[in-house]
Parts: sequence; C-alpha cells; structure tokens
Amino acid sequence: MTDATDITRQTLAALGVSTAADLAPHFAAVRAEFERDAATITDDATWKSLRDLWMGRKSGVLTRITDNWLKPSPPELKRVVGQELNQLRAHVEQRLDALQQTLAAAAESQTLARDRVDLSLPSVQRPLGSPHLLRQTFAEIERIFLSLGFRVVEGPEIETPYYNFEALNIPEHHPARDTMDTFYLAMPPGAEPRLLRTHTSPVQVHTMESQQPPVRIIVPGKVYRRDNPDATHSYAFHQVEGLAVDTDVTFCEFKGTVEHFVREFLGPTIKTRLRPSYFPFTEPSVEVDASCFACGGSGCRLCKNSGWIELFGAGMVDPAVYGFVNYDPERVSGYAFGLGVDRLSQLKYGIDDVQLFFQNDVRFLRQFS
Amino acid sequence: MKVLYQWLAEFVDLTLTPEELRDRLSAAGIAIEALADTPAGPLLDAELTINRPDCLGHYGFAREVAALERRLLRPIKLAPEPRATAGAPSDLSARVEIDSPELCGRYTARIVKGVKVQPSPPWLRQRLEALGQASINNIVDATNYVMLELGQPLHAFDLARVVDRRIVVRRARAGEKMRTLDGLERVLSPEMCVIADAAHAVAIAGVMGGAESEISSATQDVLLESAWFEPISIRRTSKHLNLRTEASVRFERGADPEMADAASRRCAALLVELAGGEILPGAVDLYPGHREPERLALSRAGFLRVMGADVPDGEIEAILNALGFLPLRLELTAHELTVALTANIGATPEFARHSRAVWACTQPSWRQDVTREVDLIEEVARHFGLDKFPPRLHGSRQPAARLPHAEAEDRLRGRLIGLGYHEIVSIPLVNAEEDALFRPSDVIDPAVITNPLAADASLLRSTGLVSMAHALAWNINRGQRNVRLFEIGRAYSMPDGAPLERRIITMGATGLAREKGVAESAREYEFADLKGDLDQIGQLAGGFTWREIERSSWQHAAQAGRVSLPNAGTRRIDLPDGNRVVRTVGTNVVGEAGKLAQRVADQFKLRQDVFLAEFDLDRFYSDYQQARATRRYQPISRFPAVERDFALVLSDGTTFAAVREAIQSAGIPEIAAIEAVDLYRGKQMPPGKFSLLVRVTFQSQHATLTEAQVNDFSARILEKLAQQLDASLRTS
Ligand SMILES: [Zn+2]
Repeated sequence: MTDATDITRQTLAALGVSTAADLAPHFAAVRAEFERDAATITDDATWKSLRDLWMGRKSGVLTRITDNWLKPSPPELKRVVGQELNQLRAHVEQRLDALQQTLAAAAESQTLARDRVDLSLPSVQRPLGSPHLLRQTFAEIERIFLSLGFRVVEGPEIETPYYNFEALNIPEHHPARDTMDTFYLAMPPGAEPRLLRTHTSPVQVHTMESQQPPVRIIVPGKVYRRDNPDATHSYAFHQVEGLAVDTDVTFCEFKGTVEHFVREFLGPTIKTRLRPSYFPFTEPSVEVDASCFACGGSGCRLCKNSGWIELFGAGMVDPAVYGFVNYDPERVSGYAFGLGVDRLSQLKYGIDDVQLFFQNDVRFLRQFS
Repeated sequence: MKVLYQWLAEFVDLTLTPEELRDRLSAAGIAIEALADTPAGPLLDAELTINRPDCLGHYGFAREVAALERRLLRPIKLAPEPRATAGAPSDLSARVEIDSPELCGRYTARIVKGVKVQPSPPWLRQRLEALGQASINNIVDATNYVMLELGQPLHAFDLARVVDRRIVVRRARAGEKMRTLDGLERVLSPEMCVIADAAHAVAIAGVMGGAESEISSATQDVLLESAWFEPISIRRTSKHLNLRTEASVRFERGADPEMADAASRRCAALLVELAGGEILPGAVDLYPGHREPERLALSRAGFLRVMGADVPDGEIEAILNALGFLPLRLELTAHELTVALTANIGATPEFARHSRAVWACTQPSWRQDVTREVDLIEEVARHFGLDKFPPRLHGSRQPAARLPHAEAEDRLRGRLIGLGYHEIVSIPLVNAEEDALFRPSDVIDPAVITNPLAADASLLRSTGLVSMAHALAWNINRGQRNVRLFEIGRAYSMPDGAPLERRIITMGATGLAREKGVAESAREYEFADLKGDLDQIGQLAGGFTWREIERSSWQHAAQAGRVSLPNAGTRRIDLPDGNRVVRTVGTNVVGEAGKLAQRVADQFKLRQDVFLAEFDLDRFYSDYQQARATRRYQPISRFPAVERDFALVLSDGTTFAAVREAIQSAGIPEIAAIEAVDLYRGKQMPPGKFSLLVRVTFQSQHATLTEAQVNDFSARILEKLAQQLDASLRTS
C-alpha cells in the first residue's frame, strides 16, 4: 500500500499536529488512501486482505490510529481525534460491506451464466408413437354417430355374393356391378363362392337378419375393389356404413342426421347439399355434398370451381332390401349411407395421394401424432 | 351423355341459360359435369346414373328440362308413312322373323331405295362432331343422329349384301364367326343374339353391325333396323366380347320399346332428306314383347311416410305430368283408401286418416325403372327440390354402443403409442411366397384370390408379419432407420372352404431404441426391448408368460419366444344351475416374438436387425375383460421393505425362472419381489459357470422385519438354491 498510511505509524506530536485544524488533512489523507485501496478490489481474496489491512485487530490501520494517534493525544485533541476516527471506521466498515455484496452478486451471476439451460437445445424425450390417421377418422365418425344413439357393429371381409350383391338389390347382371369390380376367392369344389366385400353394406343385411327394428348401426371396416392402384385407387379402402330403420324414420330425419354429421366433422359453418342420385339399395338415393371448406363456396381447385365437394352416397333404404330380411316394408322405413373414410381423411387433411395411407412412411405417420 | 343446348330447344321452350340449366338439372339428379362452347352451340356434359337410359337422347333429356319448369315436351314430328302403291311394294314382311323373342322384344325394318351415299351436310357434321361422334357418310350419320336425338340405336344394312333379303333374329350358333364393323373377327356363342340373313350372321344384335353388310359408296338400297333387345343379354354379350358401343350402352340399360318404330320413321325421313331415294311402303314391325303399360299409384300418405314432409297437390301433379306419368287424382273414402293402401301401396293408417289423396299413374314406356310407389315418390321429391325438405333430428330408441372390444383396443393402442410405436394400416393382399415365409403352422389353407391384378397381391395374408416386414423395409430404404410400428388388423385363411378372419396385432421394431442426444447416448433396439414392450402390453390382460419356441420359422433361432395369457386356453361356461365351470378349449399361447432370421431378412433386403411380434387379439381382448373384472385393490404395507442381494454362481443353462422358482419354494410369504439385477459371464468365473445378481425384497403386511428374520429368510433361500440348482454365493 502507499506511503500515506505511514503517517499512522507516527504520533500526532511527531506529525506536528497540535490543533483540530491540523488534524483534518491527516484523516483526509488516510481516507483517500482507503479509497485507493478499495478501488483495487476484484475478488474475495483481495477483499479479505483489504479488510485485514484496515480492520485487523493487531496491526490494522484503524488499530494503529487508535494506538498512535488517539491514545497519546493531549486531552484537548482527544475528543476530536475520537470523532474523526469513528467516522473513518464507520466509512471503512460500510464500504467493505458494500464491496462484499458487490462481489457476491458478481459471483452469483457468474454461476448463473454458467448453469443457465439453453432453451433452444432439444429436450430429452421418450419416443412417442401415433394412431394412424384413418383410425383417427374412424374414431371421429364413431363419436358423432354414438352421440346420436347409433351402435357400432362389424362384419366379415370375406363375403358371399348374396350378401354383397343380391340381398342389396344388385342381381347378377345389374350394371351397378360394373362400378364394383370384385376380387373372388379360390374355393374347394362344391363350396359356396366367396368374394372380398366391395362395401360395408353386407353388414346391413346381417344386422337386419338378426334383429327387428329399431336399428341404428354404423359399420366401420375395410372394403376391396379390383382397381389398379394409383393416386385415387387402391385394392382396399375403408368405409363406415350407416343404417337406421324404424317405424317413423323419414327423409327429413335422414337429412337432419347427414347435416349434423357434416357440421360436426367438417365444421359448424359447412353447408350440406343433397343431390338426387342412384344406388340399387336406396330409393330415393342422394349424393351428399358439402360446401367447399377450402374456398368457402366461391370456387377453387379443390372443388373444381363448383363451390361444393362430393362427400358420400346415401338414401332411403329401398323397400326391395327389406324383402330379403323379412322386414315389413309397409311398416318400416329407413336410411343408409356409406362414408369413405380414406376420402374424408384426404379432404380434411389435404392428402392428394391415397397410397400414402398404406405406405406407412413414419414421416407421414408422425404428422398425425 | 353430351347434350347440345340448341338441340334441346327443338323439343322444349328454353327459358333457362345453360348455366342455370346446369345447376337446376344437377339439383334434380342429372349431374352436369361440365359446360363447353362448341361450333354447334353450348354443350352440357351430363353424367347420367345407370337407371336413366331415357336421358341418352336429346328428346328424353329435354323431358327432364321441361319438367324443371313443369312444362310439357313438344311431340316428335313424323312424316306420314308412304302408301302402298302398285309397282313398289316391299315384300319384307314375309322375309323378317324373330326366332328368339326372349332376346328381341321388337324388330322393325324399313327399306329406303335408291339412296346416294355421300358426305353429310355441314349442319349435321357439326352436331355429330360437337358430340364426339365422327362423321362417316350421310347414311350412317343419319342413324347416329337419330340415336342421339331419340335415344334409339338404329342400324343401316346395305340391302344388296343381305342374302336373300331375309332377316332372322336368332341366337348365334356355338362357334359361329363374324367380322364386325371394327374389322375384328368375333367368335359368337348361343347366349348372344344375332341378326342373320339367309346365309349367316350380319350383325351382333344391339352391339355392332357386320363388316360385310356395311354401307359403302356402292350402296343403293338401305335396310333400316330399329329394334328392342333384352338388356341382360346385351350386357352379357358386350362384356363377353369386351365390346361397348353407343348402341350396347343404350340397350343394356333399357331402351324404350315404343320408340323403335317412331325412330325408324324419323330416320327414314332423314335418309331421304340427306341421300334422296324413297321409303318403300310395307315396313315390318314385329312386336312380340309388347305389353300394356303398368298402372302405378302414388298416395300422399305414402309420400309422407317416406319423405316426412308434404308437397302441394299442384306440384305433385305438374311434376308427374311433365315426366309422362299421366297422374289422375282420386279422392277415396277413408275405407277405400285403407283398403287400397294396405293392398298395394303400403302406408300406415294414421297417415291415411289425414291424407286421402291418391294419384293413379301410368308407367311411361321410357321409364322401366319406375315400377313402385317409392319410385314415384323419388320422382316428385327430386323435381320438387330436396333442399325444400326440413332437416330433423330424432331420438334413438336404443342405447348407443361401441364394439365389445373397443375399450380394450383403446387401451392397447394407447399403451403402444406411449411405448413409441406408430400405428400402420396395410392392405392385406400380399405375395403368396412371402406370406409362406411367415405363415403360422396352423394355417394349411390360405385364402387365395382367383383374379388378382398383380402377383404381389394374390393372397389374403395369413399373418400381419409380411405386411409389417414391408412397412419396415419401406422406411429403412428411405433413410428412416429407427422405426417402431404396430398394426391392429386381421389375418385370413380358408380352412376347408370356410373363411376364417382372426383379429391380430403385429409389432415391428428396428434401429435404435434410444437415439444419441445432448443428454443421452445411443442404444440399439434389442430383443429385451421387444420383450419389455410386450410385457408392458401383456399387463393389460393379466400378463404374458414366455416360453421358448418349439421350432423357429421366421425367427432367429436364439432370440425368439412364445407368449401365453393366463386364461387364453380356457373358457368360462355358465351352467343352468347357476354354477360356472372353466373348460380348457385349447392352447393358451397367443403369439410369438423374435428377431427376424437372417435368411428372411435377406429376402426383404433388410440390412439391419429387425424385431417382430404378433399375437391373437380376440383372446387378448377376452383376457383383458377378465383381468379388468377381477382386478382388486392390494393393501400397501405400512412397514418398510428390506432388500437382500444374492450374487449367485450358477451353471450355464440355468434360467432365471428356475432361480425364481427355487426361491419361491422356500415358502416365505414375506417375499415381495425377486429381480435379476446383473448378469456376468467371463474370465473370473470357473468354466461352465456364470454369475447372476438376484435381489429379493422382503416385506410384511403386519410388522417391521427384524435383522434376524431377514437373515433366516436368506439362509432358507440359499439352502433351496444350493439344493435345487447347485448354486453358491460368489466370493470376492
Ligand atoms: Zn373450393
């Protein structure tokens, strides 16, 4: 440290101090000395040596001032020396405390800087799978129809021509069979012919054979068509068949049900349009269109500028079908519909190639987790 | 069906623009796919449903247009028939016969003599070309024009080429051959109807004419055929010969038998206009299929019962009139109505009390598709406007219900997703040889497709493993090498001609179990991962028990296992006396798991380890139900548990199961858990030995265990291990 503290090694007398006025410059010099020392503090170690240098019980500067200046001073100076010394002591203590806090704060922020997590780093994650998008669509359709009191039933994929065609009012040379190219199964001689069902409608017949109305069912499942695979065709796709038969089921209820489904599935602002169509097992038959959710109905590529998107076929159950299941067509009426799960999923999620559903590329699957 | 706006205007007053027409027709069930401008004016491209052959001509189409505004169609103008004059009688009548009236319900023939074959005039060419029909010559064009106008196919023969000027409508002879207009030689069969002359077949009835009697530049006299052929026969013939023509499409859907003669007259007149010549009197019209029109009835009650909302009388009548059903309104007494309804219309008496109106209708010859009241209901509803019927929601009279196994499937799916598996959906048509690599030993008769489109899809899979192997390969080949997949699907077989569809779940995993990250190091997926994932799934259904496989097929011989479920091999049967018995019904093995054998992996070009598993879901679901039904709370002990580790030295081949069994045989109820925590094989072990660190946890429900008690347990356990397995404690 500097020479200034040397004056504290001498008595006041030796310094030629005889009045209070002589005293002040010496204390000022000591304080200035302390400030110079304090300015050099950088860490705990230098802080500790500063404290020992000034506050040390045996040889600290303040102790020396007590020993060399206060104690030997003449009575007329003693009070002033005491006052000056107390002020100096208070100043030194306060400054040391402040310095210590500054050092502690600096140390803490240093630690924080070192330990702070980088929020942009990847987290540690357990790998998580995903349900297939088609499964999610099945679940959503189920939810909507369960809320309307429908029961979910299933049926076999390997069917007889009777259930797949005849009992649905599609006799052997009916032109409607052209639209449903069919895979047939190799059977041992004498066995009943079998095919892969081309729609989930055979389960309508199985259900009506096994119970009397009221019937309200939906039938999720896989169906097959003998079409060469491309962006819009595959050997198999998925349907949810619906059937409601009771003594008081009318077209108006059918329409209400279909509109409810479309709003629930595609959104509350989506409008529904029923266009007359033809299916052998419904009469009247309709195609159900939804207002285009991409453009809101003004026309775009998705809806081919029509403002409408064809969703699925449906209609009132043709009385001929009741004849196959021993229902009394004069007593009961009903409606049926066949939702294409793949098509609805494609529309809702903008999937342009149906093959994506069956390639099972994890880069596709992950997008729907 | 392509339709020209201006042509329609010849039959109906058009007040709607083509755009309006498109929208209104679509709403009434005639879907207009496109509008286009052609030199012949605006064109509407209609996609007709198969039940509407009446719209396959402009005239019939115009009837729908007229009905939109409840107008009537203008009748077709026909020139008067030529009178028989001396010198020019047609002797046709003696020369035309129908041999097979079951295939040909009507046959008309006219002769136009002295025509000049030449190109058609521009107006005719323009119309044909606008509709996609190539112009050939004035004779052929005239027949095509009338077909497009009236929906009735016609055929023109060169009379000079008809041997003996004789026409016989008959079945083809087996193996009979004929060259059709397209130049191909066709082999015919007796299911097919042909038009023959005195020598041989000159046309395949309703499908295509023969090359020999084709109209040529040398043709002078034309024999004009306009007939009605039986739809199913035409359809069969056309399919058989793989020959679809404008004519066959119209006949197979059902042409209008009443139109045959009118179309012939119209066409003959057009021929004279275009090619000169004269129509010979004495046209032939054989009509063995003639029948009186069907009587139909539409009741308001029936309408309400199906549609649920009413349509005013005036609308019903106007629509039915415009469509040609000639409705006649009858007001019946309540009694008459009830009798009529229950007899042949079908309506509930409640409706009958309120609405007595019934319309007696006549089925027009062009609407063979309308045969019942419900068909009339549809006609009225679609022209009235389906948008005018109010939507309603009714309550159900039955409770909603999911599938019986839906909850179990949800839990299973949820757990697999939590374990990192992505669900896949595959098409179960597979390659037969690949399927054979994985086929379960109990599948003897796989389900084979007789008419596959590709060899790779010629069999319904007997297991999901083949689909799973493909899904893994697809991903690995695209740089996705860390993949875990599952599929909830079906496996198929055909034992003794009875189809069998089993619910299955298939799992597949490959690559890293854990990927390298900032906080973790990488680890390959291994058999223990597969086993662990399966065990965590198995917990849902009472827990899997593992056994070694008897004989490996697709699996790696050293890394595979079978899983069984506690109740899978039994069935609980409720007896009439209220008791319940448990019967063994088969094995309780439900599935297999393992690493894919190298030779199979090579076939799929899988260049990294692949792990597969599959188990039966029907039995899993039933065990799930049982596990859920029998699950009860187990009290949690208030007393501390004590662990003891046993570093055992065991002979090679000793299983952990054997160790656990030996420990359990000590009969200590305080044993709460037995775990293997470390395994060591190596130099420090004597030959033929390995070391297993086993941790046993003791806990009592009643008291804190003392040191002395635990020491006693340990001693008893060691004694059993030494006795049964010759195990000792490792010293060091
Ligand atoms: Zn749009």
